[in-house]
Amino acid sequence: MERSQVEQRVVKVTCQVLGVDAAMVQPDSHFVFDLGAESTQSVELVAAFDGEFDIEMDEDAALQVETVGAAVEFITASLA
Amino acid sequence: MRLILVDQLTEKRVNFYPLALSRPIWELRCGMTSLAEKLIAKVGAGDVACFVPPYMADAYRRRSEWPVNDPANLAGDDLLVVSARVKAAGFGIEPTGPSQVTVDTDGEVLYARIARADLARLNAGSIDGLLDSAREKLPSADAELPTWNYTWDLVLENPEQLVEDFAAAGRSGIEGAVEEPRAIRGDAKNVYVAPGASVHPMVVLDASEGPVYIDEDVIIHPFTRVEGPCYVGKKSILFGAKCREGNSIGPMCRIGGEVEESIIHGYSNKYHDGFLGHAYVGEWVNLGALTTNSDLKNDYSSVSVVLDGKRPVDTGSTKVGSLIGDHTKTSIGTLFNTGAYVGAMSLITTTGKLLPRYIPSFAWLIEGVVTKGFGKSRFYATAQEAMQRRGCQWTEADEAMWNEIFNMTKPERMEAVRKGRRVLSGHRG
Repeated sequence: MERSQVEQRVVKVTCQVLGVDAAMVQPDSHFVFDLGAESTQSVELVAAFDGEFDIEMDEDAALQVETVGAAVEFITASLA
Repeated sequence: MRLILVDQLTEKRVNFYPLALSRPIWELRCGMTSLAEKLIAKVGAGDVACFVPPYMADAYRRRSEWPVNDPANLAGDDLLVVSARVKAAGFGIEPTGPSQVTVDTDGEVLYARIARADLARLNAGSIDGLLDSAREKLPSADAELPTWNYTWDLVLENPEQLVEDFAAAGRSGIEGAVEEPRAIRGDAKNVYVAPGASVHPMVVLDASEGPVYIDEDVIIHPFTRVEGPCYVGKKSILFGAKCREGNSIGPMCRIGGEVEESIIHGYSNKYHDGFLGHAYVGEWVNLGALTTNSDLKNDYSSVSVVLDGKRPVDTGSTKVGSLIGDHTKTSIGTLFNTGAYVGAMSLITTTGKLLPRYIPSFAWLIEGVVTKGFGKSRFYATAQEAMQRRGCQWTEADEAMWNEIFNMTKPERMEAVRKGRRVLSGHRG
């Protein structure tokens, strides 16, 4: 999958789980400090990314991912 | 004679999960004592050794006073090898005598009495070898032995066992402090308050239907009602609790709200309001305010419990509450369904809905669905913190055991996680 496709889908899922506008979701957006993710929403995000990309993200590693751009990198690497 | 307690990884072991995931079955409690204490008292053993599933051997060795998984203990004395599932009350076998063995319908050895002279013709190099050769070579006794078959057996027999254990303990009277005004209902000889215990004013100890045993250094705050039969373990604190009949609590528990016919292992907290009935709760559990379990179905039919994530088992009882594994935490307002299986090391955050009847171990429950959550390392950090607060230590052996449990329970957890993903994506539309 192309990185741009991963990026699009990460933005879509982030908007759905966190209830934010797509315009707010930038590569350097921090899930907690910029997008307001609470701890349970972080868990939901990991579950949603797993479902969206049909992957099994390692929980401990995935939760170290703090920004949208880092999530795209992480998922792209997982799909490779 | 040496008593050898045995708990092997048999299919029936699952029947005692999630509690037995992290301890041998004989560490489960019924009445005032553990199943091991009852067996030891019954056979009068002074010399005890034990064999547990290998993955928990190191962790158990650190808290056990007996040799654990050491084959050297299978030699040098007459042996009485007893399965952890055997009920002490029905065990009428003489501890020493001619060698003999009794197996259950599945071929599991319930006990083997082995005279020292016969050890040479058996394979005593390992517990498996010893049991296999005993089954093959020793005469069968064909004894009818009652066994514990499920965790809820312990809950359902708890009231009766409390009465028996109180009588066996042979203690009565007030050795601690019971402040005025106080109310002791029923026969005062059915109440025991141990030294160091402090019962505040306006507490009711109701022994009219069964004995009340308050162990050392327990503190009972005002407006608590304790109905017998009941056992409150050492250093526990009751906060204005409504302790209905049939509870075994403690040690070191913090209990409030309404609790009925439940067994709660040490270091677990249910500080606040909320109902817990016919439940079995492991160690280091924290139940958030208003956490409540159902123990009776609206149609009064028999309760079933899902032990493996798939197949419901009919308990044959109309009253069964939750089975909650060690280190599990619930958020405020958690509502457990009748006969809920709540795995160990889980974190339950809720939205006020009744939760699924099966919650696997190491699950994060969010919006009623199972997720992988923050992974096991976050659970370990929380466990470490909780244990330190009570002066206990999380060890490398604990972590190694829990890593094995994490792997053992992964299939059912991942199945639930995959279901959860579908539900969550449905929510997102």
